Amino acid sequence: MLRLLSFAVFLATWWGAAFLAGDQKLPPPPIVLAAVIAEAKSGALFFHLGVTLARVALAFVLAMTLGAALGYLMGRVRLADRLGDPWLILLLHLPALVVIVLAYIWAGLTEVAAIAAIAINKLPTAVVTLREGTRTLDAALDEMADVFAIPRWKAFRHVILPQLAPYLAAAARSGLSLVWKIVLVAELLGRPNGVGFEIGVAFQLFDIPLLLAYSLTFAALVLMIETALVQPVEARLSRWRRRAA
Amino acid sequence: MQLEVNIASKVYTNAAGERQEALAGFNFALTAGEVGVFVGPSGCGKSTMLRIVVGLDPDYQGRVSRPPGAKIGMVFQEPRLLPWRSVEENVRLVAPQADEARLSLLFGTLGLEAHRSHFPGELSLGLARRVALARAFAVEPDFLILDEPLASLDDALAARLRGEIATLVDSRTVTTLLVTHSVDDAVHLGDRLFFLSQRPSHVIAEIPIHTPRGKRDAAEIRRIKAELARLALANL
Repeated sequence: MLRLLSFAVFLATWWGAAFLAGDQKLPPPPIVLAAVIAEAKSGALFFHLGVTLARVALAFVLAMTLGAALGYLMGRVRLADRLGDPWLILLLHLPALVVIVLAYIWAGLTEVAAIAAIAINKLPTAVVTLREGTRTLDAALDEMADVFAIPRWKAFRHVILPQLAPYLAAAARSGLSLVWKIVLVAELLGRPNGVGFEIGVAFQLFDIPLLLAYSLTFAALVLMIETALVQPVEARLSRWRRRAA
Repeated sequence: MQLEVNIASKVYTNAAGERQEALAGFNFALTAGEVGVFVGPSGCGKSTMLRIVVGLDPDYQGRVSRPPGAKIGMVFQEPRLLPWRSVEENVRLVAPQADEARLSLLFGTLGLEAHRSHFPGELSLGLARRVALARAFAVEPDFLILDEPLASLDDALAARLRGEIATLVDSRTVTTLLVTHSVDDAVHLGDRLFFLSQRPSHVIAEIPIHTPRGKRDAAEIRRIKAELARLALANL
Protein backbone atom coordinates (compact mmCIF):
# COMPACT_ATOMS: atom_id res chain seq x y z
CA MET A 1 0.00 0.00 0.00
CA LEU A 2 2.73 2.42 1.05
CA ARG A 3 4.78 1.39 -1.97
CA LEU A 4 1.87 2.20 -4.27
CA LEU A 5 1.41 5.58 -2.65
CA SER A 6 5.09 6.33 -3.03
CA PHE A 7 4.89 5.32 -6.70
CA ALA A 8 1.90 7.62 -7.21
CA VAL A 9 3.82 10.52 -5.66
CA PHE A 10 6.70 9.78 -8.04
CA LEU A 11 4.38 9.85 -11.08
CA ALA A 12 2.72 13.06 -9.94
CA THR A 13 6.07 14.78 -9.38
CA TRP A 14 7.25 13.66 -12.80
CA TRP A 15 4.12 14.92 -14.48
CA GLY A 16 4.31 18.26 -12.68
CA ALA A 17 8.00 18.68 -13.52
CA ALA A 18 7.31 17.79 -17.19
CA PHE A 19 4.61 20.43 -17.28
CA LEU A 20 7.04 23.05 -15.94
CA ALA A 21 10.10 22.03 -17.97
CA GLY A 22 8.33 21.40 -21.24
CA ASP A 23 8.09 18.26 -23.38
CA GLN A 24 11.46 18.87 -24.98
CA LYS A 25 13.49 18.47 -21.80
CA LEU A 26 11.28 16.11 -19.80
CA PRO A 27 8.49 14.28 -21.64
CA PRO A 28 5.46 13.38 -19.47
CA PRO A 29 4.70 9.73 -18.59
CA PRO A 30 2.35 8.90 -21.54
CA ILE A 31 5.00 9.78 -24.14
CA VAL A 32 7.62 7.67 -22.38
CA LEU A 33 5.12 4.85 -22.01
CA ALA A 34 4.44 5.01 -25.75
CA ALA A 35 8.19 4.73 -26.38
CA VAL A 36 8.36 1.71 -24.06
CA ILE A 37 5.48 0.03 -25.89
CA ALA A 38 7.00 0.72 -29.30
CA GLU A 39 10.35 -0.76 -28.21
CA ALA A 40 8.61 -3.74 -26.62
CA LYS A 41 6.60 -4.41 -29.79
CA SER A 42 9.71 -4.46 -31.96
CA GLY A 43 11.33 -6.83 -29.45
CA ALA A 44 14.34 -4.55 -29.03
CA LEU A 45 13.49 -3.75 -25.42
CA PHE A 46 13.50 -7.38 -24.31
CA PHE A 47 16.61 -8.17 -26.32
CA HIS A 48 18.64 -5.34 -24.80
CA LEU A 49 17.31 -5.95 -21.27
CA GLY A 50 18.09 -9.63 -21.64
CA VAL A 51 21.63 -9.02 -22.84
CA THR A 52 22.31 -6.62 -19.98
CA LEU A 53 20.78 -9.00 -17.47
CA ALA A 54 22.97 -11.85 -18.71
CA ARG A 55 26.08 -9.66 -18.30
CA VAL A 56 25.02 -8.66 -14.83
CA ALA A 57 24.39 -12.27 -13.84
CA LEU A 58 27.72 -13.51 -15.19
CA ALA A 59 29.81 -10.70 -13.73
CA PHE A 60 27.97 -10.90 -10.42
CA VAL A 61 28.43 -14.65 -10.02
CA LEU A 62 32.05 -14.44 -11.07
CA ALA A 63 32.87 -11.60 -8.68
CA MET A 64 30.93 -13.10 -5.76
CA THR A 65 32.51 -16.54 -6.08
CA LEU A 66 36.02 -15.25 -6.49
CA GLY A 67 35.54 -12.48 -3.92
CA ALA A 68 34.07 -14.80 -1.30
CA ALA A 69 36.87 -17.34 -1.76
CA LEU A 70 39.59 -14.69 -1.57
CA GLY A 71 37.94 -12.92 1.36
CA TYR A 72 37.63 -16.18 3.30
CA LEU A 73 41.27 -17.02 2.59
CA MET A 74 42.45 -13.57 3.66
CA GLY A 75 40.35 -13.74 6.81
CA ARG A 76 41.77 -17.12 7.78
CA VAL A 77 45.38 -17.01 6.64
CA ARG A 78 47.54 -14.14 7.86
CA LEU A 79 50.05 -14.49 5.06
CA ALA A 80 47.34 -14.27 2.40
CA ASP A 81 46.03 -11.14 4.10
CA ARG A 82 49.44 -9.47 4.17
CA LEU A 83 50.11 -10.37 0.52
CA GLY A 84 46.67 -9.46 -0.77
CA ASP A 85 46.02 -6.28 1.17
CA PRO A 86 47.95 -3.78 -1.04
CA TRP A 87 46.24 -5.17 -4.16
CA LEU A 88 42.92 -4.95 -2.46
CA ILE A 89 43.43 -1.30 -1.55
CA LEU A 90 44.56 -0.52 -5.09
CA LEU A 91 41.51 -2.21 -6.63
CA LEU A 92 39.14 -0.61 -4.13
CA HIS A 93 40.24 2.86 -5.16
CA LEU A 94 40.73 2.31 -8.88
CA PRO A 95 37.96 4.19 -10.74
CA ALA A 96 35.57 1.92 -12.63
CA LEU A 97 36.18 3.82 -15.83
CA VAL A 98 39.92 3.08 -15.76
CA VAL A 99 39.29 -0.65 -15.37
CA ILE A 100 36.76 -0.69 -18.20
CA VAL A 101 38.91 1.30 -20.64
CA LEU A 102 42.02 -0.76 -19.88
CA ALA A 103 40.07 -4.01 -20.25
CA TYR A 104 38.83 -2.94 -23.68
CA ILE A 105 42.32 -1.88 -24.73
CA TRP A 106 44.01 -5.07 -23.57
CA ALA A 107 41.34 -7.65 -24.39
CA GLY A 108 39.65 -5.87 -27.29
CA LEU A 109 36.02 -4.79 -27.52
CA THR A 110 34.85 -8.25 -26.53
CA GLU A 111 32.24 -9.79 -24.26
CA VAL A 112 34.98 -11.26 -22.09
CA ALA A 113 36.57 -7.86 -21.58
CA ALA A 114 33.22 -6.31 -20.61
CA ILE A 115 32.29 -9.00 -18.11
CA ALA A 116 35.79 -9.15 -16.63
CA ALA A 117 35.85 -5.38 -16.21
CA ILE A 118 32.49 -5.37 -14.42
CA ALA A 119 33.54 -8.28 -12.20
CA ILE A 120 36.86 -6.65 -11.29
CA ASN A 121 35.01 -3.52 -10.20
CA LYS A 122 32.83 -5.49 -7.83
CA LEU A 123 35.47 -7.95 -6.62
CA PRO A 124 37.28 -5.87 -3.96
CA THR A 125 34.14 -4.93 -1.99
CA ALA A 126 33.15 -8.60 -1.86
CA VAL A 127 36.64 -9.53 -0.65
CA VAL A 128 36.63 -6.85 2.06
CA THR A 129 33.17 -7.78 3.33
CA LEU A 130 33.92 -11.50 3.44
CA ARG A 131 37.27 -10.92 5.09
CA GLU A 132 35.57 -9.00 7.89
CA GLY A 133 33.00 -11.77 8.19
CA THR A 134 35.64 -14.45 8.38
CA ARG A 135 37.45 -12.55 11.13
CA THR A 136 34.33 -12.62 13.29
CA LEU A 137 33.92 -16.41 13.05
CA ASP A 138 33.35 -17.94 16.46
CA ALA A 139 36.41 -19.97 17.50
CA ALA A 140 34.33 -21.73 20.18
CA LEU A 141 32.15 -23.29 17.50
CA ASP A 142 35.21 -24.33 15.49
CA GLU A 143 36.47 -26.14 18.59
CA MET A 144 33.12 -27.83 19.01
CA ALA A 145 33.26 -29.08 15.40
CA ASP A 146 36.82 -30.22 16.03
CA VAL A 147 36.11 -32.19 19.21
CA PHE A 148 33.09 -33.90 17.69
CA ALA A 149 35.15 -34.66 14.57
CA ILE A 150 32.56 -33.22 12.19
CA PRO A 151 33.86 -33.76 8.63
CA ARG A 152 35.32 -30.64 7.05
CA TRP A 153 32.78 -29.93 4.33
CA LYS A 154 29.94 -30.57 6.76
CA ALA A 155 31.42 -28.21 9.33
CA PHE A 156 31.88 -25.62 6.59
CA ARG A 157 28.27 -25.90 5.56
CA HIS A 158 26.63 -26.00 8.97
CA VAL A 159 29.05 -24.11 11.21
CA ILE A 160 30.95 -21.64 9.00
CA LEU A 161 28.52 -20.71 6.21
CA PRO A 162 25.64 -19.67 8.47
CA GLN A 163 28.01 -17.29 10.26
CA LEU A 164 29.10 -15.84 6.93
CA ALA A 165 25.55 -15.60 5.57
CA PRO A 166 24.91 -12.00 6.69
CA TYR A 167 28.22 -10.95 5.16
CA LEU A 168 27.48 -12.80 1.94
CA ALA A 169 24.09 -11.09 1.84
CA ALA A 170 25.67 -7.67 2.45
CA ALA A 171 28.28 -8.31 -0.25
CA ALA A 172 25.59 -9.46 -2.67
CA ARG A 173 23.44 -6.44 -1.93
CA SER A 174 26.09 -3.79 -2.34
CA GLY A 175 27.69 -5.77 -5.16
CA LEU A 176 24.50 -6.04 -7.15
CA SER A 177 23.90 -2.30 -6.99
CA LEU A 178 27.49 -1.67 -8.05
CA VAL A 179 27.19 -4.08 -10.98
CA TRP A 180 23.91 -2.47 -12.10
CA LYS A 181 25.65 0.89 -12.23
CA ILE A 182 28.81 -0.23 -13.97
CA VAL A 183 27.31 -2.54 -16.55
CA LEU A 184 25.73 0.37 -18.40
CA VAL A 185 29.03 2.25 -18.58
CA ALA A 186 30.79 -0.84 -19.92
CA GLU A 187 28.06 -1.28 -22.54
CA LEU A 188 28.12 2.37 -23.51
CA LEU A 189 31.86 2.27 -24.12
CA GLY A 190 32.34 -0.98 -25.92
CA ARG A 191 29.34 -3.18 -26.65
CA PRO A 192 26.96 -3.11 -29.64
CA ASN A 193 23.90 -4.04 -27.57
CA GLY A 194 22.40 -3.85 -24.10
CA VAL A 195 20.61 -1.10 -22.18
CA GLY A 196 23.81 0.95 -21.86
CA PHE A 197 24.31 0.90 -25.64
CA GLU A 198 20.70 1.95 -26.28
CA ILE A 199 21.01 4.79 -23.78
CA GLY A 200 24.15 5.90 -25.60
CA VAL A 201 22.25 5.92 -28.91
CA ALA A 202 19.36 7.83 -27.38
CA PHE A 203 21.83 10.35 -25.97
CA GLN A 204 23.44 10.93 -29.36
CA LEU A 205 20.04 11.36 -31.05
CA PHE A 206 18.83 13.44 -28.12
CA ASP A 207 15.84 11.09 -28.00
CA ILE A 208 14.74 11.72 -24.41
CA PRO A 209 11.62 9.49 -24.45
CA LEU A 210 13.77 6.57 -25.63
CA LEU A 211 16.41 7.33 -23.02
CA LEU A 212 13.81 7.41 -20.25
CA ALA A 213 12.06 4.33 -21.63
CA TYR A 214 15.23 2.27 -21.24
CA SER A 215 16.31 3.83 -17.94
CA LEU A 216 12.93 3.30 -16.31
CA THR A 217 12.36 -0.26 -17.51
CA PHE A 218 15.86 -1.04 -16.34
CA ALA A 219 15.13 0.49 -12.93
CA ALA A 220 11.87 -1.48 -12.76
CA LEU A 221 13.78 -4.67 -13.52
CA VAL A 222 16.27 -3.96 -10.73
CA LEU A 223 13.43 -3.31 -8.32
CA MET A 224 11.70 -6.54 -9.32
CA ILE A 225 14.83 -8.64 -8.84
CA GLU A 226 15.44 -6.99 -5.49
CA THR A 227 11.96 -7.73 -4.12
CA ALA A 228 11.49 -11.12 -5.78
CA LEU A 229 14.94 -12.56 -5.22
CA VAL A 230 17.27 -10.72 -2.86
CA GLN A 231 14.84 -9.90 -0.06
CA PRO A 232 13.23 -13.35 0.27
CA VAL A 233 16.65 -14.99 0.39
CA GLU A 234 17.75 -12.61 3.12
CA ALA A 235 14.59 -13.28 5.11
CA ARG A 236 15.10 -17.02 4.85
CA LEU A 237 18.71 -16.85 5.98
CA SER A 238 17.85 -14.87 9.12
CA ARG A 239 14.85 -17.05 10.00
CA TRP A 240 16.43 -18.30 13.23
CA ARG A 241 17.14 -14.73 14.39
CA ARG A 242 13.59 -13.49 14.19
CA ARG A 243 12.22 -16.40 16.16
CA ALA A 244 14.87 -16.03 18.84
CA ALA A 245 13.45 -14.90 22.15
CA MET B 1 38.78 -47.12 26.97
CA GLN B 2 41.75 -46.26 29.02
CA LEU B 3 43.15 -42.81 29.47
CA GLU B 4 46.54 -41.84 30.76
CA VAL B 5 47.51 -38.22 31.17
CA ASN B 6 50.95 -36.89 32.07
CA ILE B 7 51.20 -33.18 31.48
CA ALA B 8 54.66 -32.10 32.61
CA SER B 9 54.00 -28.45 31.96
CA LYS B 10 51.64 -26.10 30.19
CA VAL B 11 52.76 -22.52 29.87
CA TYR B 12 50.91 -19.74 28.14
CA THR B 13 51.55 -16.10 27.50
CA ASN B 14 48.81 -13.75 28.60
CA ALA B 15 47.71 -10.56 26.85
CA ALA B 16 50.25 -8.51 28.85
CA GLY B 17 53.04 -10.73 27.52
CA GLU B 18 53.74 -12.46 30.83
CA ARG B 19 54.42 -16.17 30.83
CA GLN B 20 52.28 -18.14 33.23
CA GLU B 21 52.42 -21.80 34.08
CA ALA B 22 48.90 -23.22 34.20
CA LEU B 23 49.68 -26.88 34.77
CA ALA B 24 52.76 -28.57 36.25
CA GLY B 25 53.14 -32.29 36.80
CA PHE B 26 49.46 -32.96 36.18
CA ASN B 27 49.17 -36.76 36.13
CA PHE B 28 46.23 -39.12 36.35
CA ALA B 29 44.82 -42.26 34.78
CA LEU B 30 41.31 -43.63 34.32
CA THR B 31 40.34 -47.17 33.38
CA ALA B 32 37.59 -47.89 30.87
CA GLY B 33 34.14 -46.84 32.04
CA GLU B 34 35.35 -44.92 35.06
CA VAL B 35 34.04 -41.49 35.96
CA GLY B 36 36.85 -39.22 37.09
CA VAL B 37 35.78 -36.01 38.78
CA PHE B 38 38.12 -33.04 39.05
CA VAL B 39 37.46 -30.60 41.87
CA GLY B 40 39.53 -27.49 42.34
CA PRO B 41 39.52 -23.73 42.89
CA SER B 42 38.31 -21.45 40.09
CA GLY B 43 40.86 -20.54 37.52
CA CYS B 44 43.19 -23.37 38.48
CA GLY B 45 43.45 -24.59 34.90
CA LYS B 46 40.82 -27.32 34.78
CA SER B 47 39.52 -26.24 31.39
CA THR B 48 43.09 -25.93 30.12
CA MET B 49 43.66 -29.54 31.12
CA LEU B 50 40.47 -30.68 29.37
CA ARG B 51 41.45 -28.88 26.17
CA ILE B 52 44.77 -30.72 26.18
CA VAL B 53 43.12 -34.09 26.87
CA VAL B 54 40.66 -33.75 23.97
CA GLY B 55 43.39 -32.59 21.60
CA LEU B 56 42.35 -28.96 21.10
CA ASP B 57 45.65 -27.67 22.48
CA PRO B 58 48.80 -29.37 21.19
CA ASP B 59 51.10 -26.79 22.79
CA TYR B 60 52.21 -28.48 26.05
CA GLN B 61 54.95 -30.67 27.41
CA GLY B 62 54.10 -34.22 28.31
CA ARG B 63 51.98 -37.04 27.00
CA VAL B 64 48.31 -37.89 26.71
CA SER B 65 47.64 -41.45 25.67
CA ARG B 66 44.19 -41.95 24.40
CA PRO B 67 43.32 -44.77 21.97
CA PRO B 68 43.40 -43.46 18.40
CA GLY B 69 40.01 -43.06 16.79
CA ALA B 70 38.21 -42.92 20.12
CA LYS B 71 34.98 -40.97 19.86
CA ILE B 72 34.69 -37.93 22.08
CA GLY B 73 31.52 -36.35 23.36
CA MET B 74 32.00 -33.03 25.09
CA VAL B 75 29.86 -30.63 27.05
CA PHE B 76 31.57 -27.25 27.18
CA GLN B 77 31.07 -24.71 29.94
CA GLU B 78 28.75 -22.79 27.64
CA PRO B 79 26.39 -24.96 25.59
CA ARG B 80 28.07 -24.05 22.25
CA LEU B 81 25.05 -24.95 20.17
CA LEU B 82 24.60 -23.70 16.63
CA PRO B 83 22.00 -20.94 16.98
CA TRP B 84 20.90 -21.35 13.34
CA ARG B 85 20.02 -25.03 13.66
CA SER B 86 17.13 -26.54 15.60
CA VAL B 87 17.73 -28.66 18.69
CA GLU B 88 17.31 -31.85 16.71
CA GLU B 89 19.56 -30.66 13.87
CA ASN B 90 22.24 -29.70 16.39
CA VAL B 91 22.27 -33.24 17.72
CA ARG B 92 21.99 -34.96 14.34
CA LEU B 93 24.86 -32.94 12.92
CA VAL B 94 27.41 -34.53 15.24
CA ALA B 95 25.72 -37.94 15.29
CA PRO B 96 24.52 -38.76 11.77
CA GLN B 97 24.50 -42.45 12.67
CA ALA B 98 22.03 -42.06 15.55
CA ASP B 99 18.65 -43.58 14.65
CA GLU B 100 15.25 -42.25 15.63
CA ALA B 101 14.83 -44.74 18.48
CA ARG B 102 18.06 -43.66 20.11
CA LEU B 103 17.30 -39.96 19.72
CA SER B 104 13.82 -40.43 21.14
CA LEU B 105 15.25 -42.21 24.15
CA LEU B 106 17.85 -39.49 24.66
CA PHE B 107 15.43 -36.59 24.23
CA GLY B 108 12.97 -38.40 26.48
CA THR B 109 15.51 -38.96 29.26
CA LEU B 110 16.57 -35.34 29.16
CA GLY B 111 13.06 -33.93 28.89
CA LEU B 112 13.68 -32.37 25.47
CA GLU B 113 10.98 -34.12 23.45
CA ALA B 114 8.88 -30.95 23.23
CA HIS B 115 11.81 -28.79 22.16
CA ARG B 116 13.13 -30.74 19.18
CA SER B 117 12.22 -28.14 16.59
CA HIS B 118 13.12 -25.09 18.69
CA PHE B 119 16.14 -22.96 17.98
CA PRO B 120 18.71 -22.62 20.79
CA GLY B 121 17.88 -18.91 21.17
CA GLU B 122 14.42 -19.91 22.34
CA LEU B 123 15.72 -22.11 25.17
CA SER B 124 16.59 -21.32 28.78
CA LEU B 125 20.16 -22.00 29.89
CA GLY B 126 19.06 -25.17 31.68
CA LEU B 127 17.44 -26.51 28.51
CA ALA B 128 20.40 -25.50 26.34
CA ARG B 129 22.69 -27.40 28.74
CA ARG B 130 20.52 -30.47 28.29
CA VAL B 131 20.75 -30.18 24.53
CA ALA B 132 24.53 -30.03 24.89
CA LEU B 133 24.33 -33.20 27.01
CA ALA B 134 22.09 -34.89 24.47
CA ARG B 135 24.56 -33.99 21.73
CA ALA B 136 27.50 -35.41 23.68
CA PHE B 137 25.67 -38.68 24.37
CA ALA B 138 24.23 -39.02 20.86
CA VAL B 139 27.68 -39.72 19.41
CA GLU B 140 27.93 -42.78 21.70
CA PRO B 141 31.30 -41.55 22.92
CA ASP B 142 34.18 -43.61 24.23
CA PHE B 143 35.19 -40.54 26.19
CA LEU B 144 32.76 -38.11 27.70
CA ILE B 145 34.12 -34.74 28.77
CA LEU B 146 31.93 -32.57 30.97
CA ASP B 147 33.23 -29.09 31.77
CA GLU B 148 31.11 -27.77 34.64
CA PRO B 149 27.89 -28.88 32.98
CA LEU B 150 25.78 -27.87 35.98
CA ALA B 151 27.29 -24.48 36.80
CA SER B 152 24.88 -21.57 37.33
CA LEU B 153 21.78 -23.76 37.44
CA ASP B 154 19.58 -23.67 40.53
CA ASP B 155 20.00 -26.51 43.05
CA ALA B 156 16.83 -28.41 42.20
CA LEU B 157 17.53 -28.37 38.48
CA ALA B 158 21.19 -29.25 39.02
CA ALA B 159 20.17 -32.23 41.15
CA ARG B 160 17.75 -33.47 38.48
CA LEU B 161 20.27 -33.07 35.70
CA ARG B 162 22.88 -34.80 37.86
CA GLY B 163 20.53 -37.77 38.13
CA GLU B 164 20.08 -37.76 34.36
CA ILE B 165 23.84 -37.70 33.80
CA ALA B 166 24.23 -40.65 36.21
CA THR B 167 21.60 -42.61 34.27
CA LEU B 168 23.28 -41.92 30.95
CA VAL B 169 26.79 -42.67 32.20
CA ASP B 170 25.63 -46.02 33.59
CA SER B 171 23.74 -46.94 30.43
CA ARG B 172 26.97 -47.79 28.58
CA THR B 173 30.71 -48.05 29.10
CA VAL B 174 32.05 -44.55 28.76
CA THR B 175 35.18 -43.13 30.33
CA THR B 176 34.15 -39.79 31.75
CA LEU B 177 35.98 -36.68 32.87
CA LEU B 178 33.86 -34.28 34.87
CA VAL B 179 35.15 -30.91 36.01
CA THR B 180 33.20 -29.22 38.77
CA HIS B 181 33.31 -26.86 41.74
CA SER B 182 30.69 -28.81 43.57
CA VAL B 183 31.52 -31.57 46.04
CA ASP B 184 27.90 -32.67 45.64
CA ASP B 185 28.47 -33.40 41.94
CA ALA B 186 31.68 -35.19 42.82
CA VAL B 187 30.26 -37.56 45.41
CA HIS B 188 27.13 -38.30 43.41
CA LEU B 189 28.81 -39.00 40.10
CA GLY B 190 32.47 -39.90 40.58
CA ASP B 191 34.23 -43.26 40.72
CA ARG B 192 37.48 -41.49 41.35
CA LEU B 193 37.85 -37.97 42.68
CA PHE B 194 40.85 -35.82 41.92
CA PHE B 195 41.43 -32.75 44.05
CA LEU B 196 43.49 -30.05 42.42
CA SER B 197 45.86 -27.37 43.71
CA GLN B 198 46.02 -23.67 42.84
CA ARG B 199 47.92 -22.94 39.65
CA PRO B 200 50.27 -24.22 38.45
CA SER B 201 47.75 -26.96 38.93
CA HIS B 202 48.35 -30.61 39.74
CA VAL B 203 46.51 -33.43 41.49
CA ILE B 204 46.98 -33.24 45.26
CA ALA B 205 44.71 -36.10 46.26
CA GLU B 206 43.02 -39.01 44.50
CA ILE B 207 40.06 -40.56 46.30
CA PRO B 208 38.33 -43.63 44.85
CA ILE B 209 34.67 -44.18 45.73
CA HIS B 210 33.79 -47.87 45.76
CA THR B 211 30.03 -47.71 46.31
CA PRO B 212 28.26 -47.98 42.93
CA ARG B 213 26.44 -44.81 41.83
CA GLY B 214 23.04 -46.48 42.05
CA LYS B 215 23.54 -47.39 45.73
CA ARG B 216 24.56 -43.97 46.99
CA ASP B 217 21.61 -42.96 49.15
CA ALA B 218 21.51 -39.90 51.38
CA ALA B 219 23.27 -41.72 54.22
CA GLU B 220 26.03 -42.98 51.96
CA ILE B 221 26.53 -39.51 50.45
CA ARG B 222 26.82 -38.08 53.98
CA ARG B 223 29.37 -40.75 54.87
CA ILE B 224 31.53 -39.98 51.82
CA LYS B 225 31.33 -36.27 52.50
CA ALA B 226 32.32 -36.83 56.13
CA GLU B 227 35.26 -38.87 54.90
CA LEU B 228 36.29 -36.02 52.59
CA ALA B 229 35.90 -33.54 55.45
CA ARG B 230 38.14 -35.70 57.61
CA LEU B 231 40.76 -35.52 54.87
CA ALA B 232 40.16 -31.74 54.80
CA LEU B 233 39.29 -31.85 51.08
CA ALA B 234 35.63 -30.92 51.11
CA ASN B 235 36.27 -27.19 51.31
CA LEU B 236 38.60 -26.83 48.39
